[in-house]
Amino acid sequence: MNEKAFLPKMTLPNKMTIKKKKGRFILKKKYSFLTAIAATAMLIAGCGSEEAKTNSGSGSDSGYKLLEDGKLTYASSGLYKPFNYTDAGKLTGFDVEIGAAIAEKMGLEPNPVTTPWETITQSLLGNKFDAIIGSMAITEERAERVNFSDPYYYSGGMIFVPEGSEDIKSVEDLEGKRIGVVAQSTYDTAAQEYTDDIKYYNSDVVALKDLTVKGRLDAVITADVVGFEAIANGMEIKEVGDPLWIEQAAVAVRKDDEKLLEEINKAIQELVEDGTYEEISNKWFERNLLDVDLEGIEILN
Amino acid sequence: MELLKTVFDVFLQTYPGFLKATLITLQITAVALVLGTILGLIFALMKISRSKVLQTIANFYITIIRGTPLIVQIMFLYFGITALVVLSGFWAGAIALGIHNGAYIAEIFRGAIQGIDKGQREASSSLGMTRAQSMRRIIFPQALKRSIPPLGNQFIITLKDSSLVYIISVPELFAMANREAAQNWKSLETYLVVGAYYLVLVMIFTYLLKLYENKLNVDKS
Repeated sequence: MNEKAFLPKMTLPNKMTIKKKKGRFILKKKYSFLTAIAATAMLIAGCGSEEAKTNSGSGSDSGYKLLEDGKLTYASSGLYKPFNYTDAGKLTGFDVEIGAAIAEKMGLEPNPVTTPWETITQSLLGNKFDAIIGSMAITEERAERVNFSDPYYYSGGMIFVPEGSEDIKSVEDLEGKRIGVVAQSTYDTAAQEYTDDIKYYNSDVVALKDLTVKGRLDAVITADVVGFEAIANGMEIKEVGDPLWIEQAAVAVRKDDEKLLEEINKAIQELVEDGTYEEISNKWFERNLLDVDLEGIEILN
Repeated sequence: MELLKTVFDVFLQTYPGFLKATLITLQITAVALVLGTILGLIFALMKISRSKVLQTIANFYITIIRGTPLIVQIMFLYFGITALVVLSGFWAGAIALGIHNGAYIAEIFRGAIQGIDKGQREASSSLGMTRAQSMRRIIFPQALKRSIPPLGNQFIITLKDSSLVYIISVPELFAMANREAAQNWKSLETYLVVGAYYLVLVMIFTYLLKLYENKLNVDKS
């Protein structure tokens, strides 16, 4: 009786400790792996909340909806110096400042973002931001999908070639040449009229840069201002002739954001009238970009 | 020498932005790895389960995901499903990366589990353990140890693949490099610098992985 009661008592604790040890051994390893994962999860926790709160908000009193309350979120490629580019990690340029001025007039906080140019319209329609303020020129094709504001600057489409190049002296010489353009740009459409040999880029600046690499491109079509900026920065390229056409850069919004467009147009109007526009334009280009003699030149639309 | 100097200049000009972007790269990688590991585990278990339905589901997932490019998956999540739910670039990218990795990690886990000698399972069942018990107590701890080196490999690939999300405008390292290069006209130097960022990140990661492997004594298993 005594022995029987004693035996199980002895063996049971023994068994348990072995089991426990084993269990702990296994658990420890399993958990250290899980903690590693959990730790990384912690790392991201902060970011998530910051990035995720996108599709909230409505300006109920203003009559239009915004991606983020009190903020005008507007997009550009960020690869189009001097209109939109990054300086020391901060997005800046003419478009970005005009966007900020528009937002201010509307009593909103400016929130400039970047997105690849090829998919910028898709992104707007997919509610990734409120407006495109990124040197988008008004065209009929685009106007079928988005609504444009009044133009906020005019620029010319221009042919650029390598500095030493003598092949291309006019538009006609573009026939069959290899031309570099940004996909989905107005320059893309133009280039297609002259050649089948088009090379696509996500940035006009990169295309211009490729022009300086021997044998890659014969010409690039882009905005005059952008090419001149590159030349001013020491890039070995030159322009050919006069601008091919004048295009009107405008703010683009979704078709159903009529009220927002109205407010943006009002803001642009005010900026032009109170001289803020001229101030910004002079700062970047030492001239007023809206002050262009449009007579006799084709206007792209 | 001249190049070295301009590279260093570019480094100095870009590091405030690049460091911020590095954090985003790490965050997106971390989300992707957590999600990928969880998915990988689930689908690995489904694939080795005895249920034909579960096996089919797992095979379907792995076939689709391994059979399509990551960039297509990213675009699909960002643009394709906007009709149903609007995802920010960060989350679309992180989830796409996670789902993508899940398929590869599932195969890593499956390989590791099936690589354990079946004698061990037989032994544990002869000791009276159920299939689930032997999996949890005997097979899984060993399989986990064995899967660490290939997992580390996959994690490094993920870190570098995270650069693809630049296409949906996530301001991570590679997107930042593109922007800088468009601004400073110095492509060679800028991409050298950003390459070095990834290299350093991978080296740090490799070191941490090695510490963890040593702790687990992976080579002695």
